[in-house]
Amino acid sequence: MSTDTLIDVESESDLHISQLVDKPWVTIVWDDPVNLMTYVVHVFIKLFGFSKEKAHELMMQVHNQGLAVVSSGSREEMEWDVQRLHEHGLWATLQRDDKV
Amino acid sequence: MSEFTREEDKYYLDLTVDEAHILINLVEQLLELLGVVDIPHHYDESDPFAQLMHQLKPAPEEVATPEDPVLLRLLPNAYADPESAADFRRFTEPAMRSKKNITLRKAREALAVIVDSNSPGVVEDLDSDTWLAVINDLRIALSVRLEVDESSFEKFEALPESDPQKPLYAVYFWLGWLQSNLLDVMLSHHS
Repeated sequence: MSTDTLIDVESESDLHISQLVDKPWVTIVWDDPVNLMTYVVHVFIKLFGFSKEKAHELMMQVHNQGLAVVSSGSREEMEWDVQRLHEHGLWATLQRDDKV
Repeated sequence: MSEFTREEDKYYLDLTVDEAHILINLVEQLLELLGVVDIPHHYDESDPFAQLMHQLKPAPEEVATPEDPVLLRLLPNAYADPESAADFRRFTEPAMRSKKNITLRKAREALAVIVDSNSPGVVEDLDSDTWLAVINDLRIALSVRLEVDESSFEKFEALPESDPQKPLYAVYFWLGWLQSNLLDVMLSHHS
């Protein structure tokens, strides 16, 4: 086996690994001037089972910074979260983690 | 002003005829905007068998992004990328419309009792989730039409009584107060 071949194999496997590692997806909730703060906290607790403190913290992040990541996982899971957030009138989108 | 009360898991809201009229008017207009997408059915949405049977209904070829800004706010894009957003919409929007439809119809039925009898009464057949969903959808719909932003309350207060938008703003803020009151009542029993 020549050194060249080894190098080739290594770079090939590197490429392969980077393709296999599926970057997680995230659900983002965006600020809006309509939803009440207490309502947003209620929805976060209801949908994600957050503690009151955690839900409040995320709501404040949405309010002050314009957005917050509320969940991460597979694309399918995030689509389900976005769908449930939309059902509750919150403005949510999903995207790959690296874009946030 | 009407307030929610609660006994165990039952929620009650005393409404004047005028208040019931305002609510049913908004509910019916939103139902019309959403369009009738499904007949009322006899199966339970949460039944696993019913969900399995849902797969018999193929997803439509394409569901256009709503042009009406109220509908676009109630059924927003899930992705920044238009292609993924369109795909998501194709698979989820019919079910979302159907759910909103069912919830709004439930509210309509309960409110119609007061409106039809033309005397104040208590709405007692709606659970807290239904109330929250309906009030929130109505607030969102009104907010889009009124172009509500952070400064809207000051704007509302400064409007002369003769301004045709004044009553709409008043309803919008009343609904916010009602929702806040409902959340207080819900929370007071949790702690």
